Amino acid sequence: MHILYIEDEAKIANFVCAGLKEQGFVVDYIDNGDEGYYRAMENQYDVIVLDIMLPGKDGLAILKGLRRAGHNSPVILLTARNELDNRLEGLNLGADDYLSKPFFVEELIARIHAVIRRISGERQNVLRVGSVALDRITREVTCNHQLVELTTREFNLLEYLMRSPGRVFTRTQILEHVWGYDFNPNTNLVDVCIQRLRKKIEKVAGDSWIDSVRGVGYSFRQSEKICDI
Amino acid sequence: MEFNLKIRSFRLRIALLSASLAGSALIGFGFASWLLIYKTKVDALDAEIKSQLLANITRPPRFDNTLHRSTALLVIDRDGETLYQSNNWPSDLNSTILCSPQSELNCQPFPLPLPRRQQRQFKIPNQLPPLPPPMKLSQVSTKQKYEEVWRIGVITSPYHRLIIAISLSEIEREMSVIRNVFSIAVPVVLILVAIVAWWLSGTALQPIRKVTTTIRGVTVKGLNQRIPMGTTDVEFIELIAVFNQMMERLERSFQQASRFGGDAAHELKTPLAILQGELELALQKAEPASQLQQSLSNLIDEVRRLSSIVRKLLLLSLADAGQMRLYQIDVNLSQILADLVEDIEILAPDLQVETNIAANLWVKSDKDLLIQIIQNLISNAIKYNVPSGWLRIDCQHKDNLVYLTVTNSSKDISPQDKERLFERFYRGDLSHNRQLEGTGLGLSLSREIARAHNGDLQLDDTLSGETAFTLKLGFPTPGTLTPTPLS
Repeated sequence: MHILYIEDEAKIANFVCAGLKEQGFVVDYIDNGDEGYYRAMENQYDVIVLDIMLPGKDGLAILKGLRRAGHNSPVILLTARNELDNRLEGLNLGADDYLSKPFFVEELIARIHAVIRRISGERQNVLRVGSVALDRITREVTCNHQLVELTTREFNLLEYLMRSPGRVFTRTQILEHVWGYDFNPNTNLVDVCIQRLRKKIEKVAGDSWIDSVRGVGYSFRQSEKICDI
Repeated sequence: MEFNLKIRSFRLRIALLSASLAGSALIGFGFASWLLIYKTKVDALDAEIKSQLLANITRPPRFDNTLHRSTALLVIDRDGETLYQSNNWPSDLNSTILCSPQSELNCQPFPLPLPRRQQRQFKIPNQLPPLPPPMKLSQVSTKQKYEEVWRIGVITSPYHRLIIAISLSEIEREMSVIRNVFSIAVPVVLILVAIVAWWLSGTALQPIRKVTTTIRGVTVKGLNQRIPMGTTDVEFIELIAVFNQMMERLERSFQQASRFGGDAAHELKTPLAILQGELELALQKAEPASQLQQSLSNLIDEVRRLSSIVRKLLLLSLADAGQMRLYQIDVNLSQILADLVEDIEILAPDLQVETNIAANLWVKSDKDLLIQIIQNLISNAIKYNVPSGWLRIDCQHKDNLVYLTVTNSSKDISPQDKERLFERFYRGDLSHNRQLEGTGLGLSLSREIARAHNGDLQLDDTLSGETAFTLKLGFPTPGTLTPTPLS
């Protein structure tokens, strides 16, 4: 999977590139708008990750130019600017998704996958890790072909963890992403929900697949084969 | 001055002032002309008296038949004996004219008799005017007796004194007619003048009202608005120019202030992104459950908290600048509340939760921001609750508005805390309690978000021992509901 990543802040590019490469993406990293625009026009990338604030041509201008030239590579915008304004403008100009800084690389990866899934006709809607399979469209979870009944929150939590098996998520991170709390009401919420989720999976699969990382948070156990990617 | 201070309406003042000006001028003119008419009439009467006196002293009076009905005649000789008294002579005049020493009519001495040759001559034919005049024309004055006023003329010849009195009653009658006409016409004209003045002053204030309307529009739309100068009257151009200048200054300083907050928040985002990214990378690489990984996860949480504060500050600065852009979609408030109520049961299992939420309440709002408000309200209700307390959520639709009230048992909030509750970074007495996490931005931001939605958030008056906040939002009319393209 070939990704063009245009970002002027080298330190951010540093860990983003590392994170993307870790997931098996091939990343072309460009640090200014003019060259980035040239590269994007020349090549057909699977996904373009575009910072809005750039030296030279800015991200929105690049996006506009690409769309006018008939390039339809999916574009994910990154910005530190005032969120909604750029988000609306970016989406109007034909961006496929939008991510506001600071973001977790894991989130960016998930968005990239989502965008690719959308483009490729939504064939890969099923996340399958070990014996657990999660269908994003029907919102059904099956273990060993047996249906597991989950609440909305539990489903979202499981989907979040399963997106990046082996990755450790802190409780706050989970709380923010699954519940949308941008402050910490009480991480109890995560613990209780994880416990319930584990019980339900365990009942069917004999194993919960969710590991506690002491003092840190939770992670979904990585199996040998990840069917999603 | 004090009078002016009492009447606060400029228009009323202008109207009253012009009415009273016109009124006093009118009354003045009326009074003056009335006096003039009166004087003219009395003068005419005096002339009549004089001519009659003259006519009657030079020849024997042709009594009664020549006299006007209202004319009375009295003739007395040097000794004060009445020679003739007409029928209509008011008898009570005698005492005043003849007897009273103070009467100016009486103090006129009889002139010396003429030379003998003429002594017995009663009638002096063709002696007009006599040389030297054989008589003196007396002062003419009025005496008030009963209802009637008389104009009296006295002429004295060496042999007798002739007194003519004419009643003023006729003149009085005529004057009273004029007075009546005036007393009706003046108030009518005054009222007319007041009405016209009211209308005129209203018309004069019309441009001011126009400017006011424009200014009101300006304040609603934001500081970047200016009043167009195009069609305004010359007199108001300066006012508008000055107002526009003021708006410009205000806008500039306000923008500076709010841009500072926004810029600062923005500048913080990049380093935060780097910090978070690097920490995340390190967290994943660290040995699972090691001391290092635990520290890193704590650091990540703190960075997230920091970026949450930065995000809120940015939103607040946008709200201050009136630029909080909302991505408004139709949101099922009932569903959001149901999800959150589920959380409460986990967050605070000891709390007794009561809900009264109408089904299918849709609101047009920015979903993320709306959820943020509600989360803020509910988590406050949990945080500031009392042991084994209760929490109640009411959400109803009334008069095109949706009211969401979160009530909880709590300690009483002191009056000064109540006032400052919505201030930024204010956390009240309870902020000393380290166990309660929070930034002190939640309520302030929630209110700004609610207001950006044309709604409001306020602290309700409640009984002692409970606290309630009500969020008010517009309820979309059924026709405006559209399917949500993006969430």
